[in-house]
Amino acid sequence: MGKGQRATQVYKSTEFIEHARDSDGLINGPADPFKLAPSNSSSLLVDSEKALKASKLSSASASVEPAPTTAAAATSNSPSPQAERPSELESVPSFILVTTYLSFLMLIVFAHLRDFFGKLLHPEEYVQLREQNGYAPMVSDFESLWTRRLYGRIRDCFNRPITGVAGGHVNLLERVSHDANATFEFTGRVRNVLNLASYNYLGFAQSEGPCADKVEQAMRENGVTQASTRAEAGTTRLLAETEDMVARFVGTEASLIVSMGYATNALNIPALVSRGCLIISDELNHNSLVSGARLSGATIRVFKHNNMQSLEEQLRRSISQGQPRTHRPWKKILVVVEGLYSMEGEFCDLPAIVRLRRRYGFYLFVDEAHSIGALGKRGRGVCDHFNIDPHDVDVLMGTFTKSFGAAGGYIAGSKALINYLRLHSHSAVYAEAMSVPVLAQVSASMRMIMGEDREHALEGQQRLDQLAVNARYFARRLAEMGFMTLGDSGSPVVPLLLFSPAKIPAFSRECLKRKIAVVVVSYPATPIITGRVRFCISASHTREDLDYALEHISEIGDLLMIKFHQGKTIETTETKKLE
Amino acid sequence: MDPPLDTLAPLTPSPSAGDPAAERGFFHTAWDFSFRMGIRYIKNSYKDDPFRTFLEVCLIGFIIWYITKQKYNIGTNEITLSEKEVDELVDDWKPEPLVPDLTEFERETLEKAIMIEGPNGTKVRLASATNSKPLLNFASYNFLGFLDNPDIEKHAHETLRKYGVGSCGPPGFYGTLDVHMELEKQVAAFIGHSTAILYSQAFAATLSVIPCFSKRGDIIVADEGVNLPIQQAIMLSRSKVYWYKHNDMADLERILKDVNKQLHGRGAKNVLPRKFIITRNTGDITPLKDLVELKHRYKFRIILDEAYSFGVLGKRGAGLTDHSNVDPHEVDLLIGSLCNSIGASGGFCCADKDLIEHQRLSGLGYCYSASMPGILTVAAADAIQALEASPDTYLPNMHENTALMRSLLKRIPGLQVDGDPESPLIHIRLTPETLVRMKRSGGAWTKTDIDRVLAELVEEAQKDGVLLTPAKYVDEHERLLPNSSIRICVSSAHTRKEIEKCAHAVKSAVSRITSKKR
Repeated sequence: MGKGQRATQVYKSTEFIEHARDSDGLINGPADPFKLAPSNSSSLLVDSEKALKASKLSSASASVEPAPTTAAAATSNSPSPQAERPSELESVPSFILVTTYLSFLMLIVFAHLRDFFGKLLHPEEYVQLREQNGYAPMVSDFESLWTRRLYGRIRDCFNRPITGVAGGHVNLLERVSHDANATFEFTGRVRNVLNLASYNYLGFAQSEGPCADKVEQAMRENGVTQASTRAEAGTTRLLAETEDMVARFVGTEASLIVSMGYATNALNIPALVSRGCLIISDELNHNSLVSGARLSGATIRVFKHNNMQSLEEQLRRSISQGQPRTHRPWKKILVVVEGLYSMEGEFCDLPAIVRLRRRYGFYLFVDEAHSIGALGKRGRGVCDHFNIDPHDVDVLMGTFTKSFGAAGGYIAGSKALINYLRLHSHSAVYAEAMSVPVLAQVSASMRMIMGEDREHALEGQQRLDQLAVNARYFARRLAEMGFMTLGDSGSPVVPLLLFSPAKIPAFSRECLKRKIAVVVVSYPATPIITGRVRFCISASHTREDLDYALEHISEIGDLLMIKFHQGKTIETTETKKLE
Repeated sequence: MDPPLDTLAPLTPSPSAGDPAAERGFFHTAWDFSFRMGIRYIKNSYKDDPFRTFLEVCLIGFIIWYITKQKYNIGTNEITLSEKEVDELVDDWKPEPLVPDLTEFERETLEKAIMIEGPNGTKVRLASATNSKPLLNFASYNFLGFLDNPDIEKHAHETLRKYGVGSCGPPGFYGTLDVHMELEKQVAAFIGHSTAILYSQAFAATLSVIPCFSKRGDIIVADEGVNLPIQQAIMLSRSKVYWYKHNDMADLERILKDVNKQLHGRGAKNVLPRKFIITRNTGDITPLKDLVELKHRYKFRIILDEAYSFGVLGKRGAGLTDHSNVDPHEVDLLIGSLCNSIGASGGFCCADKDLIEHQRLSGLGYCYSASMPGILTVAAADAIQALEASPDTYLPNMHENTALMRSLLKRIPGLQVDGDPESPLIHIRLTPETLVRMKRSGGAWTKTDIDRVLAELVEEAQKDGVLLTPAKYVDEHERLLPNSSIRICVSSAHTRKEIEKCAHAVKSAVSRITSKKR
């Protein structure tokens, strides 16, 4: 293909993206933005990055009027080092801190009081907590206090059942409780609400469209499941091909697919390290990593969240002191971090960690559960975002639950690593192999992101752009409204701090009233003080969806008085502009 | 002693001016009285006892010395090093490679790994096969033949159009589908237990349920033959564990008695640890009745893993409780899988309502991972429904096939057939005598040697059109590694002829392998 021809195609593709976008780069119009993609565009050869650059350039020049916003977006475009970002928590008014602690204190005091009088007056309701005819209680009194007395009050905000696809909108099964959340009754009604809760970053949770068609075809050809493990008779050609594709996508030599996300960490880390090895883990690492580390039998040490100084200190001390008591050198040291911390919306400081890896020679395990597919210009995760060679990370782990709309996870790395894991990882030898529809969904969505799907060559890149724009827009607008948000710019997870325990269920319920589904989290998933609501932005959200949500969230913010930064907004925009 | 301490009275704090005089007077007197008593007491006690005064002065001195003395860390023996020394140590440290190199046999295993082209079922095509003749599959846990069921696959297409593929969230955060709740009810009703909870992988179900209830300080008495998921779960729970000999009830009773005696000796009635008996079912069938009796006698709870027996054992196919006519409620935590005989994916746990609700917050695999895809949930529901509606179409066939297969295999010279006669999961091994005969030099067999022979046997059988697999384990992590074996999974979907073909293939493979001296 000649040069000129190629240029026109680039032009065509950008023109397409352009005319559908407004000044913020958001796609306007119909509810499903992907329907816009030309279904028969054969521009497989388009240099997608070039196209993207061109689109960005023109969008920047086209929208001169809302100067402050674009400037802010532009500065936040470049991956910024974490260290310069001041901690949000430092600016929390002490009044809020005190009242939050006080409300928790009151909750706990009341919980104990209710337990005390309850046991006195209705002993039959507490039978489960007492020793019964020689059997110890299954759940101890103290352990379950939190569940019974605190979680019980807000149970309606969790485990909300849905039906259908958890896409940009989701169908909730309406339920009511007549006995203070002890039991729920379904009313039989279904409510369609805006979904800011599911990890559907690229909008691949769909029951229609090219991916679903591929899945159906795959099931026709390959059945549904394997009823065997990967090591025995569960390896199919589809599985092997998808593993190759994942490796190609991530940029490593090989990969191993596991049928569950939690198990990917919990069952593979024990194959990598053992007694005499050291795991240095970020303090906010996901529970599956903690389980895996504990199962491995290795010594576990923790460094402060995303604090490179703390990591380096830990490394220097560990290497120089060797194993406890014997002072023998460690066999291996595995540093375990996450690419995108799902509760914080923060990226790990990968460039700094890779620098440390060169100096100290540890092995690096990066959990990209949330970042793969969602971060980076090409969606290749945190390595792509920071422009780091994937070979600088020894073990790249990720899940398909989030961006790919599937389930399960993968481990990617060198050929030697994966070959070893195929024979020695618990997930490969004891757990069921990945089922056919899930594999097909992974391969179809991944091909689309890579632009290898001839019929939908642009759609993947379009979804990536859309997600990036949506996420920045949403986070920026929240900050402008005076909310206290966490996280790095560009993160599809936007946590908003609520603090007080009473505001946590209130926010969730108010949102539901206004037809928005959100996730609220509190202790023990977060530090006790920073209860928060977590928005997961998706490429399937349109501009109207986001504006609708923002408008209502703003209302709720006024109602619950959680716009802690109100009045400071102009200042922050100003400083950003100056930068 | 005697002089009144009136002089001290003004020093006592007086309440604020606004108070009524009477009240002030009362406080004043009370304070005054107690102060005087205190002084008198101290004076009295030191009056004729210089030794006591000396001792107490020494004690105070010791406390001051102890507090001000330099702190030390208990338990660490860290060496203080200079920055330069640390740098040198860092430069010197060379880690082991992340993973060890594969052995020659492992490389061969990888190269020869089975890769299936197209659907899995009783007949499969291998991707490597030069001729397109399908192989008979005796390697997948397709006991009831649900992999070959076209209705389930057809229904899966419909489910796809309603639920998509992934659920995009953990059950707690909008990941609970209506079909999940229905399947939970269905499983509980089928087994006859109160409630159930779904996990998206069978391994993770075991790994979550046990640590959810058994914590540090609790006691687990487990069968030595439990599989790796249970071993890992026990490790994760950090409970104290005792192992009893595989399926040996006398040994179990001895341990239970011992445990109770120790606990009694400790006199710790109010911190009674939770006690569990863990067992599971594979080729051998656990004597559940005896187990329940022991449970009641020694006040333990039972955790039963039905990874392979669910859907297979019993008149209805509802598992071990059905098979041994035990009320399922006697099993406190019943863990099962939907990925083997049911032919879907995931696992479940059946228990009383409180225990299930506890898992919804504390079951790690439930809280921290996405829920099961809707397609697989519906596939599992369809399979269970089919089994429940007409157990006679699946189970008798499977039992007949099992009996036939076992009788045919037993006739093969040099072969040892293990497991309960009713179990469709058959482990075959070469008898020790055969192995001795095969070794030319009469030397000892290593595990790798045996594995290699079994791998050859599997390959030979493949030439005859039968797909088998050696039972795979992660050798270095198993507590008691079972002897190497080939696993044969009999399905109800196999015909009599196919069973005979398989047995014949095994027979000729064994004779070919054993005639070769090495």
